[in-house]
Amino acid sequence: MSKIKKKKYTLHKFHDMDFALVLVTLVLSLFGIVMAFSASYYYSISKFGSPYTLLRSNIINYVLGWFILLVFSRIDYHVLKKLALPAIVIGLGLLVAVLALRGTPFTLTINNATRWLKLGISIMPGELIKPALILFFAAVFSSNENCMKNGKTLAISIGLIVVIFFLIYKQPNLSTACIVVLLGVVMMFVAGLNPLLLGGVGGLAVLLFSYLYFIDDGYMHTRVVTALDPWADALGDGYQVVQSLLAFGSGGVFGRGLGQSIQKTLYLPEPQSDFILPIIGEEIGFVGIIALLILYAILIGRIISIALRSKDRFGAYLACGTGALLAIHVILNIMVVTATFPPTGVFLPFMSQGGNATWVFLALIGITLNVSRQAREIPEDETE
Amino acid sequence: MIIKGEEYSVMAVKQQTSDSVVSATRGRIVDRNKNDLAISSIAYTIWVRPASVRGSGADESENEATTLLHIRQLAETLEMEEEDVESIVRSESKLLRLKKYVDSDTADAVRAFSIYGVEITEDAKRYYPNGAFLSQVLGMTNDDNEGTGGLELQYNSVLSGLDGRWITNKDNKRNSLAYGVNEYYEAQNGATLWSTVDQTIQKIVTQKIAQAVIDCKAQRAMCIIMDPNTGDILAMAQTEDYDPNNPRDPLAGDEEDFEMMTTEQQVAYWNKNWRNFNICDVYEPGSTFKLITTSIALENGVTNMNDTFYCKPVTVADYTLKCWYYPLSHGKENLYQAVENSCNPAMITLAQKLGLERFYTGIESFGLTEKTGIDFPGEGSNILQGYNQVGLATMSYGQGIAITPISLVTAIGSIANEGYLMQPRLVKGLLDEDGNVIEEFEPVVKSRTISEQTADEVLSIMEKVVNEGGSGKAKIPGYRIGGKTGTASKPEGGGYSDTDVFASFIGVAPIDDPQIVILVIVDTPRGILYGSNTAAPCAHDIMEEVLPYLGIQPEYTDADYKTLKKGKVSVPDMTGKTGESSVGVLGGLGLQVQFSPELPANAEIEVIDQYPKAGTSVVTDSYVTLYYNVISSEEAEGE
Repeated sequence: MSKIKKKKYTLHKFHDMDFALVLVTLVLSLFGIVMAFSASYYYSISKFGSPYTLLRSNIINYVLGWFILLVFSRIDYHVLKKLALPAIVIGLGLLVAVLALRGTPFTLTINNATRWLKLGISIMPGELIKPALILFFAAVFSSNENCMKNGKTLAISIGLIVVIFFLIYKQPNLSTACIVVLLGVVMMFVAGLNPLLLGGVGGLAVLLFSYLYFIDDGYMHTRVVTALDPWADALGDGYQVVQSLLAFGSGGVFGRGLGQSIQKTLYLPEPQSDFILPIIGEEIGFVGIIALLILYAILIGRIISIALRSKDRFGAYLACGTGALLAIHVILNIMVVTATFPPTGVFLPFMSQGGNATWVFLALIGITLNVSRQAREIPEDETE
Repeated sequence: MIIKGEEYSVMAVKQQTSDSVVSATRGRIVDRNKNDLAISSIAYTIWVRPASVRGSGADESENEATTLLHIRQLAETLEMEEEDVESIVRSESKLLRLKKYVDSDTADAVRAFSIYGVEITEDAKRYYPNGAFLSQVLGMTNDDNEGTGGLELQYNSVLSGLDGRWITNKDNKRNSLAYGVNEYYEAQNGATLWSTVDQTIQKIVTQKIAQAVIDCKAQRAMCIIMDPNTGDILAMAQTEDYDPNNPRDPLAGDEEDFEMMTTEQQVAYWNKNWRNFNICDVYEPGSTFKLITTSIALENGVTNMNDTFYCKPVTVADYTLKCWYYPLSHGKENLYQAVENSCNPAMITLAQKLGLERFYTGIESFGLTEKTGIDFPGEGSNILQGYNQVGLATMSYGQGIAITPISLVTAIGSIANEGYLMQPRLVKGLLDEDGNVIEEFEPVVKSRTISEQTADEVLSIMEKVVNEGGSGKAKIPGYRIGGKTGTASKPEGGGYSDTDVFASFIGVAPIDDPQIVILVIVDTPRGILYGSNTAAPCAHDIMEEVLPYLGIQPEYTDADYKTLKKGKVSVPDMTGKTGESSVGVLGGLGLQVQFSPELPANAEIEVIDQYPKAGTSVVTDSYVTLYYNVISSEEAEGE
């Protein structure tokens, strides 16, 4: 980072966006609409009587999402710096509100988990806290090059992560809580967190996991055990994961063909949502999944490239956070659907159908595009 | 990613595919004239998915109201108690059977309610149009439409056909998908069983043995009629038939007893009703077996029609074997008289002349050492005496052995079939659904028992026994009938019962061209126990209707005309005769017999006086009273 700063670079305010990023995002969006439509087709008929009900709402999601993307891509991202503090405050406020309003008509409780605020539209504070955290950390970390050696910043960062973790954990929503922790840690690492400290955190995570697996016998223990052996309770806690594995198995290398999934016919509940990847695997096979993963790699690669080319730290942190969040989601989702992580809802960016998350990701990419617009126009070899 | 892919794929297919059975229609069973004895009809089963019936609408009270309405509708239509329907609808199970064997009108009525969560499936139900008839032969089927007894079991694979399959992809709620696998394999319906049984003859037999049970105050009666030329069983009956449509229902009159029974007793009761005595059980044949001994002796040339015997006790290896007539004696007698008198010492003499080897070889050639191989499950095994002199002697007069009725009929059948022993059978072929013959089985000759000449000689003895001797009550004017009665004490606690007997009659008709062999067994008659007075009259009543039915024209002799004229009969001299033979002789003349005082159970008697006296001319059907001395009441051996 320090090297970059010393280089002489040119500002290109509002020059062209990163074309590759736009293209791959567009491809993923369209592919996502198609796959979510295919996955939801039968479920939609069964639930709403029409195969197009969910498709319609998904298209609306994406139109709105792309509008948000375009708006953010045109707003100078530096403006956002001022919004960092209000954003995190509002984010925390919403998280507190969800817990506080539990049981009232202003929240939505499904399967004993209260994750939604109903304020005219459904809001998932757990989703909104992610961009808020990226923005806040970017703002804080960019103000001081050695922030991670500053005890106060370090304490605030860790404290914030812990508070958010528990607020979300209380919903309960293990996956989102973990994602926030991972996101925070990755951003701190990028900011120069002592690798030893990081190792310590990792060790703690292993200890926590061991505790949950071997000693505790509550909700999380079940989740962890289920992750390691979904077949033990194939009709209960392991049901979704088992159905997911069956879908992958029946898809094989080349898949049954687009639209031909049978696991989506109510075997996998809400197949257009967190467990869409198995349907993709069933329909277009291992080959299709690999193609999708290549798209994700390009997407995240472009975003990291933009972070590296960012004209300042703030932009770099924003892009980094965006890339990290995408990567965490993709990796965790794959782990869940392949029974390597406790079965918990992890949104698969651009594939899973869902308003809040889609908007968040498209907004973040919009911001990243704005970062790319202001980035240095330098060939890769000049960064050294 | 696709580690274990194959395995998962198989599991997925299992879960997503519905492999439903397309039931093959079970073949019919028809009698030899292709009348239906067992048919398959369509019945409907009503299934309920309780959770779906209870509804999942947002309005709880509305759900409850519709649920109650559905319960009422179902209970009313299916004629069930509302509580019973309710307990099923309120159940937590996924899928429950509400009622089976529902007819199509009721099923349509249920369908008309179009209640979500109520499903109707079609099943084939076995139906026996004659109800309680021929049931121990037909057997029965279980709920899965598989034969569990009798011909239904024996020919299950032929009758059941091949179920088809319908393999299709289904969603998690078991609705068929429009895409994916969809394969339909048509079911192959079962063949129709073409039985040898003649429904008309069977009906006659069923009716007559039921009458015999009443007349003789017996526990039960059995009868087999076989065509000796083919081994075809024309009738096989026992009292009482259960209803194979509802095999577990108690027989008429047993309802109250049945209610009081423990589960084990009920099972025993069912098994007793379901068991085919004629094939699966053994009984002591008694004097009827003397025909076999005589046949073997004639065949081996150790005797001839003019041979003479003297009735006196025989000592075999420290055992003194007496005639049942002892202390009286039949005196000097020829072969026919020895059979007619059922003389035990005469039979022992024949067997001893034959020797162990020839006698046992003879028994073997009559197929009595093994099962007959009739096409019926659970055939009983004959129990013969040991291979020694005592065994030889007692067996010669049919004592101490137990054989299946079917094996005796088969053995005697060979005498009526020029010495060819036929394998008895209940099924003569297979038909298609329209009654066309697919396959006709050839009758199977198992062995040669005796020569044609010996057969003729034995038949002539049998005819004489009916015409002049103790089996006279089987006599039918216009028909030449041969036969032999037997009365054997039932085994009881290691010995023999004093009061209970198997009274039996085996007959062949007509003697000049045998068309039927008939065996009637009366189990535990009361009153006059003799076969001549119990089984023979029953056989008479049966043949009187069966022979004309079979198209056998009566040919009246002069003697027949005399009897038929209902004119006067000269009473013969009965003094010195046994109870058994006096009943037969007087019966043969169309006279009724009355003993004075009433006969004690299972006693052997000698007539000492009679009224009217010998030579008196009386009207047919009038009573002759006989006075007697009891010879023995416990030592009854053979007859």
